[in-house]
Amino acid sequence: MFHFQVWLMKAFFAIKFARPFMNSKWGWPLCETLHFFGLSLLVGTIGMFDLRLLGVAKRIPISALHRLVPWGVMGYGINLMTGLLFLSIAPDQYIFNRAFHFKMLFMALAGLNILVFYSAVFRKVNVLGSGADAPRAAKIIGGASLCLWIGIIVCGRLLTFYRPSSCGDMTPGFFAICFPN
Amino acid sequence: MHAFLVWLEATAVSVWIREGITVWSFPAIISCHTVGMGLVAGIQAAIDLRILGCAPRVPLMETKRFLPVMWFGFWLNAISGVFLLIAYPTKAVTNPVFYVKLTFIALAVVVYRKIRDTVLRDTSLDEKPVPRPGRMLAVYSLTCWAVAIAAGRLLAYTYRHLMAGE
Repeated sequence: MFHFQVWLMKAFFAIKFARPFMNSKWGWPLCETLHFFGLSLLVGTIGMFDLRLLGVAKRIPISALHRLVPWGVMGYGINLMTGLLFLSIAPDQYIFNRAFHFKMLFMALAGLNILVFYSAVFRKVNVLGSGADAPRAAKIIGGASLCLWIGIIVCGRLLTFYRPSSCGDMTPGFFAICFPN
Repeated sequence: MHAFLVWLEATAVSVWIREGITVWSFPAIISCHTVGMGLVAGIQAAIDLRILGCAPRVPLMETKRFLPVMWFGFWLNAISGVFLLIAYPTKAVTNPVFYVKLTFIALAVVVYRKIRDTVLRDTSLDEKPVPRPGRMLAVYSLTCWAVAIAAGRLLAYTYRHLMAGE
């Protein structure tokens, strides 16, 4: 695992095209702002859809609300791109960061949850009209999605407190682990 | 004012949030603030998108069912925001960007109330497209939240004084 992390870190360090922009005065803050826009778009639209599966606003047909999902995907796209930009200039700060590991774990689970949703229940819920209750399986998936995305936001926010440090004379982060040498 | 900031920064709550070496102090509060942001701005944005004509088959009046979740996010952020302010009062009040953020949140609430009292009251809009004035409100709402989020994010990069003592 450690070798994989080092390989990944080197791979990201080799990406150089974004460096001048990300190191410029407003490059990083701009990407963070976009990351927050994407976050809001994703949580707003996907969260609404999840809540409908759970039984909120049952008079909205599920297929009608599903038309907002592409906006959530757009938010995801913005965050994937800005996220990769963060990684490309400071991969060590993420790859050896426990909060990042959990964020990636939750993202993988959210992805798996989406796969299960579209392969197993989407066809059944998409025909449900106004007033219809989603089946239990769909509710579990909606609830899981909601919890996972909130978990992903929290882990993302915690990244800065779990930044790895060389633990030398540099000030270590809040809950930092020392860099493996 | 300066004396008040010095006093506030020395209170036990302020010191604990700022310096407590536990995830339950600053990290937990800032996490709540981010989740709340996603809920309030995100749900409002989703309703705005519906007003603008995305997902036209969603009965507009039914989107009101999501408003309690939006308000949950709003109050979560009002409360966590007060705690963040207690932790670093000087950092916020000496930065003009902080007032930009508060102004645009206030404007967003004004626009929301206008949307609630006009667009979300007209049941005929469940089926037909929202007329131009209503759509403009949705655009204003999206703009206000975007500015508020951007200003909030930039607080970390634009402050001039971190603590009153400096």
